[in-house]
Amino acid sequence: MPAHERYRNRVELLQGTLDLLILQTLQWGAQHGHGIAQAIRNRSGDLLQIETGSLYPALHRLERQGWLASKWKISGNNQRAKYYSLTPAGKKQLASEYSKWQLFVSAMAGVLSPAK
Amino acid sequence: MRRKAIQFFVRRFFRRRASERDLQAELQFHLELEIRERMERGESSDSARHAALRDFGNIGLVTEVTRDMWGFSWLEGLIADSRYAIRMLRKSAGLSMIVVFILALGISTTTGIFSLVAGILLRPLPFPSPDQLVMIWEVPPETKKPNVVALDNFVAWKERSHSFESMAAFFNIPMNLLDQQQSEQVPGLAVTSEFFATLGIPPLLGRTFRPGEYWRDKPREVVLSYRTWQSRFGGSPNAIGKRISVDATHREIIGVMPPGFGFPNIEADLYTPLPVDPEEGGRNFSVIGRLRRGVSVAAAKAEMTAIAARTATENVSLNAGWSATVVPLLDQTVGSIRPVLLILFGATGLILLLICANVANLLLMHSAGRIREISVRLALGARRFRIVRQLFTESLMLAASGGLAGIAIAFSLVTVMRHSLPESLHVPRLHEIALDKTVLAFSVGITVVSAVLFGIAPTFHALKRDLIRDLHAVTRSVTSGRHVRNLLVVAEVALAVILVVASGLMVRSFIRLLRVNPGFHAEHVLTLRMLLLPVRDDQFHAEVVRNILARIRALPGVVAAGSIGILPMEGSNSGTWYYRADQPEPAPSQRPGGDVSIITPGYFRALAIPILRGRDFDDHDRRGSVQVAIVNQTAAHLFFPHEDPIGKRLRVWWNHSPTVEIVGIAGDIRHRQLNTPPNPCLFMPNDQQPFPFTSLVVRTSGDPVALTAAIRRQIREVDADQGVAKVETLAQLVADSVARPRVESFVLTAFGSIAMILACIGLYGVISYSVTQRSREIGIRLALGATASGVFRSILVEGFRLTVIGLVVGLGGVLLLVRYLRSLLFEVQATDPLTLFSVVGLILATSLLACYWPAHRATKVDPAVTLREE
Repeated sequence: MPAHERYRNRVELLQGTLDLLILQTLQWGAQHGHGIAQAIRNRSGDLLQIETGSLYPALHRLERQGWLASKWKISGNNQRAKYYSLTPAGKKQLASEYSKWQLFVSAMAGVLSPAK
Repeated sequence: MRRKAIQFFVRRFFRRRASERDLQAELQFHLELEIRERMERGESSDSARHAALRDFGNIGLVTEVTRDMWGFSWLEGLIADSRYAIRMLRKSAGLSMIVVFILALGISTTTGIFSLVAGILLRPLPFPSPDQLVMIWEVPPETKKPNVVALDNFVAWKERSHSFESMAAFFNIPMNLLDQQQSEQVPGLAVTSEFFATLGIPPLLGRTFRPGEYWRDKPREVVLSYRTWQSRFGGSPNAIGKRISVDATHREIIGVMPPGFGFPNIEADLYTPLPVDPEEGGRNFSVIGRLRRGVSVAAAKAEMTAIAARTATENVSLNAGWSATVVPLLDQTVGSIRPVLLILFGATGLILLLICANVANLLLMHSAGRIREISVRLALGARRFRIVRQLFTESLMLAASGGLAGIAIAFSLVTVMRHSLPESLHVPRLHEIALDKTVLAFSVGITVVSAVLFGIAPTFHALKRDLIRDLHAVTRSVTSGRHVRNLLVVAEVALAVILVVASGLMVRSFIRLLRVNPGFHAEHVLTLRMLLLPVRDDQFHAEVVRNILARIRALPGVVAAGSIGILPMEGSNSGTWYYRADQPEPAPSQRPGGDVSIITPGYFRALAIPILRGRDFDDHDRRGSVQVAIVNQTAAHLFFPHEDPIGKRLRVWWNHSPTVEIVGIAGDIRHRQLNTPPNPCLFMPNDQQPFPFTSLVVRTSGDPVALTAAIRRQIREVDADQGVAKVETLAQLVADSVARPRVESFVLTAFGSIAMILACIGLYGVISYSVTQRSREIGIRLALGATASGVFRSILVEGFRLTVIGLVVGLGGVLLLVRYLRSLLFEVQATDPLTLFSVVGLILATSLLACYWPAHRATKVDPAVTLREE
């Protein structure tokens, strides 16, 4: 039942990775906040659940930094929703964050894998 | 990208209501979508709503955290704080007004004085590499003070020194500029050829003098100031090459200097070449030099001293004992006023500090009433930082209002100083003072610093509170900081005593000065300063003066007219040695001497100076007749203590060292200034001893100024080339001669008043605070049967005690300053009892006034209310 679902199989987000997740998600097109959270949850196999208290501040911050643009559009259910999309600067940022992440992962892997 | 962020920020800020609505809508949409999805998964509408809300978390918090991302919550906070601050300040409008008033007082005076410091002391002189510019002076054996230079030595310096890139001599002298048959005497500067190059300023138009010093074949050329070019030639470039008549000589205009060019402190409309004539023996010239790059002033000074030591042995008759020195041009220009300005600046700074202390005190008193408000807010969980910011915003609002008002006042202060400081004060670079960016930045700076200074005490006081105790208002007997506050009041009263005593003494001395009998009557006398043309011979001078005076005397409304070489009340006079011809010549070191005034008949009558014995000069005292003189009373007593001077003879070191026969004794006058007692003075007739400096004095029956045009016409008709430099009434000259003590009295009185106001407000603040703190105790006393008048008296006594301590300290300070004060005073003792008693009375009376309201408030304490607060 939903009541204890929340506490199951959760992975704490690493500091700073939310931005990367959001930017990556928006690579496939404009999306509203709920959609972004949904997409991250689905693609992570329910392991990553984004708190609204983190998601919306992050969206507004990224927009302020000029990496996201927003537009009010009519959603699938005929409701007005705020859609976020990547700006050119956001795409560059995504590339740079992505390569940083790759570096981080390989560094972690190097340290954690048993020495040969 | 950065600009985008700013645009985003600005847009968001001004559309923040709309943004707020958008955010609500965005979060609402999220929530509704979540609910719908849950319902689609089969949950009931209620449980879907609950689960969605729970998942979402605290909507208010999410909204707030998201809003923080917009980046101007601090700005909104500031606006909210400011609104609140304005409300609080309006609630206690009286207090706010007092605070803003004294802050404006402090900030305006400090800003005004700083504008003087910035414009006069700090701003570099308007020449390229001004640090390399120095004045070079001779140093006489007796006084060791910089002295004007002989051309002979200037030439030696120029040829032998290596410290200087260039060097030029100059001499300022009025020049008669003839323009459309009307001659005017304008300030001029005769300069050697390298003058402009040394200063480093090229002409705006044309050229300046060619290098090489001129002597016999000096070119008949002239360089104009920008102002003369504008006023005489309408700024036309055709002026170059034109000829104008300067001192009855035609000169070709070869160049025009740029606007604002001028030697510091020396006004000049014309620049002419100065012939370097080795025959010209007198020390009359100033010398400016530009140091070679990398040569220090000390090194140049050492070299000049060495050169002067050589010239002293080479030309003993001119240079025995004389040395030379080097003074940076800026020091030369502002050196005399620097200490005065720095003292004034220090004084205003001190006053501003006292003002801050006072304001802190008042706010402390005020915040005592707000302790509960702050305690409640702290108890409800307000962060301390927010409260500090709130209180500091209030301080800043007060300071900003005070600062704005202060800057406005300072603006008019600067305008007044620029235009109304008497010329006779000789404040250097006065036209350069302004409320410019530097000065404005300074006043904004001191405003903020003031806000911090007076904001700190009340803020920390507020935060130091013990919450529980304050909320219960169990006790109010906080005495912390009381000693500091009392000390402040004592210091303020003491300062007020010193300043008010000083200003009282100055004003009394000034009144004495104005009542001095100068020995002449200044009313109805017009003076015309002129300098006769240097190209003419002496006898022609004498004739021109005689003819001009004859025509003036014939004008209706003229009572008497005469001339004198150097006018009274100019601070100086000509003088020489003279001694009795019937006694052996005294040794050079023991030669008596005194002033010499070269006059024409009519001078004594024009100034209403009595001839006590003998006769005035008349038209028979001409060249070729017996050389005559008149002595004043002081000279008569000095040279002929028990004899009749009439008919006696004096030898005079003047021109051709004449022996003169005394024909009369004139009454003493104060010639230099009102506060200098008469010197011995010898009067000789202009016809026998022609003197190039001549000023006319004309006594009229009506308003002397009304005759100006007619008198000028007479001068023009006698000699079209003769101009007049300055026309003033003698009364104006007398008034100008006391400009310094007048300004000093004014400044001291202003400072004294400010100090009095501060002492009053300080006393009021401290006593009020103490009444507030003691209201419970007073309530209990009243409840126990103390009378209102008893309470009233006890509060007054508390204030009185502080005042008396301040008075004693202040009077002690006056005693310490007596020696300094004495030098400023005229015929008034620094311990003048009348002044001291009046000041003591004034301070006591005002302190009673300052304590009256708080004491009155204390009697209105309602025991029932104070006791119920327990």
